[in-house]
Amino acid sequence: MNTMTLYVEKDSPVHRLDPLVKLLYVFASIALTYILPEPLFIAGVLFVTLLLLVIGKVFRNSLPILTLSMFLIFSLVIVQGFFHPDNVTELFSIGPLVFYEEGLYVALVLVLRVLVMIGSFSVLILTTSPDEMVERLIKKGMSPRIGHVILSVLQLIPQMRATTSKITDAQRSRGMETEGSMLTRIKAFFPLMGPVVLNSLNETKERSIALEMRGFGSSTKKTFLNEEKQYPYNKLLAGIIIAIVILGIVWRVMV
Amino acid sequence: MNNNKKSMWSLKLSTAAIVLIPAAIGINYIGKLFASLLRLPLWLDSIGTVLAAMLAGPVIGAAAGIINNIIYGITVSPVSTVYAITSGAIGITVGVMAYKGWIANVKKATIVGLVTGLVAAIVSTPLNMIFWGGQTGNIWGDAFYTFLISNDVPQWLASFGDSIVVDVPDKVVTVLISYFIFKGLPKSLTNIYRQDSEIEEL
Amino acid sequence: MSIIEVENLKYRYPDLTDLVLDDLSFSVEKGECLGIVGENTAGKSTLCYALAGLIPHFYKGAYGGKVTVNGLVVREHEIAEIVENIGLVFENPFSQMTGAKKTVYEEVAFGLENLGLDRKEMHRRIEQYLKLLDVFGLKDKNPFDLSGGQMQRVAIASVLAMEPDVLILDEPTSQLDPQGSREVFEVIEQLTEKGMTIILVEHKMEQIAQYADRVLLLHQGRQVALDTPEKIFSRPDLKGFGVTPPVVTNISKALNVRYPDSELFPVTIEAFKRLEEAK
Repeated sequence: MNTMTLYVEKDSPVHRLDPLVKLLYVFASIALTYILPEPLFIAGVLFVTLLLLVIGKVFRNSLPILTLSMFLIFSLVIVQGFFHPDNVTELFSIGPLVFYEEGLYVALVLVLRVLVMIGSFSVLILTTSPDEMVERLIKKGMSPRIGHVILSVLQLIPQMRATTSKITDAQRSRGMETEGSMLTRIKAFFPLMGPVVLNSLNETKERSIALEMRGFGSSTKKTFLNEEKQYPYNKLLAGIIIAIVILGIVWRVMV
Repeated sequence: MNNNKKSMWSLKLSTAAIVLIPAAIGINYIGKLFASLLRLPLWLDSIGTVLAAMLAGPVIGAAAGIINNIIYGITVSPVSTVYAITSGAIGITVGVMAYKGWIANVKKATIVGLVTGLVAAIVSTPLNMIFWGGQTGNIWGDAFYTFLISNDVPQWLASFGDSIVVDVPDKVVTVLISYFIFKGLPKSLTNIYRQDSEIEEL
Repeated sequence: MSIIEVENLKYRYPDLTDLVLDDLSFSVEKGECLGIVGENTAGKSTLCYALAGLIPHFYKGAYGGKVTVNGLVVREHEIAEIVENIGLVFENPFSQMTGAKKTVYEEVAFGLENLGLDRKEMHRRIEQYLKLLDVFGLKDKNPFDLSGGQMQRVAIASVLAMEPDVLILDEPTSQLDPQGSREVFEVIEQLTEKGMTIILVEHKMEQIAQYADRVLLLHQGRQVALDTPEKIFSRPDLKGFGVTPPVVTNISKALNVRYPDSELFPVTIEAFKRLEEAK
């Protein structure tokens, strides 16, 4: 059974960190790129992030995630380089289009920021199992019902994908056209989508009943089957991350 | 009326309404899959959020939208987490309008779609300004942005234009599709999500 | 006092005009197995929901009368309080899995976590009921990787682990293949032998005849009869209620094999053989 997750099961110091510390790192690293929006500084944050990916043995796994945002990165450089309102200093030109230094600088900051965002997110999601993350958040006060929702989505989507291919095959074999003009294709959307929706709402009803019968609506304080994992250096690491952010803010204000 | 208002925003959610959230997120995902399978020029990736809002109101709609983007962020593309706020706003808008009787017919549903698209664009613009200097990373939207910028339109307005191009057509079609699906659902499936029903005496 | 008491129960789903349950009154004794039969619109599943408290807590609508389980009036208690008294298993094994747990072991734990049990008690119950349902060997598997029959047994184990006094089985095998059905019925047989109170809704009348002590015949929400399987299945008007008696009963009618000095026909093969030999 494939659960929909990017988590890579390995043993590394990053894997052993408290999910909440990693989550804090995501927020802190992104915040830092705004607190000190200098390319060199953001590159530093990016370097630390990449280092964490390497230590976590998941650097290779982060590359496909990056590919998804390639168009955004490409578009940022082109649009800002050619068209940013502050553009003055010409770098080069292609026909009538002029590429400017100011735009490139803006794009550089934006691109580095996107890279930090993707990188630090990758650290979190590639080295943390969703179950561990959710259980940790519930213990910190998140509603167990929301936790249940998150975990069940991760199992539900691969199953729905399986149902989907069944429906697609069935409708095709009944002669539904999935090729042709736009109107034909729009029309084809309904016989595909209708059964999926009906199916999943029906299942929702049944699963709600099953959950009710398992005490899901209980107001008793929930207990946990799995014992709480202990995380070493937890508070220390969180403290360091927060201290760095505060230092960054102080630096920004002072200099 | 006061009582009704209270129930629309009630945070005491039934199990059925809670279980609707993962289903909605699944439907979002499948909608996107079919749209790309049929090579439709729209995302259609919020049909589930819109349906959840129509069925169970703004709170569930918003929750479905927000959790949808968080899940998408942790399973596919981290960048989309940023738009959790937009998706939440879509859920709230449709939920409130549906509750106020705006999904009575096709004409009204089209207006719901327009309003939803507009709200999505309004919410997305500051996000795009903060994160990507005003762009969206969508080819048509960014082309429009470039056109506006090179005609000396202020950056934030160009960015808003970018979002409008991206969001409005998609949301109008999404709400209309959801409306047609919603109308076709049997009552035995839709009435369990309503938060306002009472037990009647026999 | 009976373990289940139903008095003048009436119910109508929201937005519908017809009563789905119309003035039902009966009781079930501890250790008894009650079969419920009738055609699709008879209200069998609805009655199960009403016994388990899903009506009127989950399904609202219009409600009248009183259902008491283990002394609890279900209308006055939350479902979460009722589940330790009465459990429900229904036809689709797939949607009975919570979807949030990655092993069979944790799946059974879900309900126990909600009850707030301590770890030791959880482990004890999970092991006990997985073994009882003969699925202990699957404890580390993902629930969705199981066969239908295995999944349904995990569903039953999950409900039994909450240790209810009554178990409702609403067509527990109708979505299973023959092998899966057999597995589930073996479990039902074991549970009846252990003296569990069971409410069984089933299309296969052979199974009803074999396990039920009494049978409740429903038609369009009304209670037609509540009697022994022999009396119910020997009724000449049974067809009119959309119920086909067990094959052996039909054969007995054709061969005129009946209990001495009565109008009753045998409903199980064993009984048929005995009567044949006695002849």
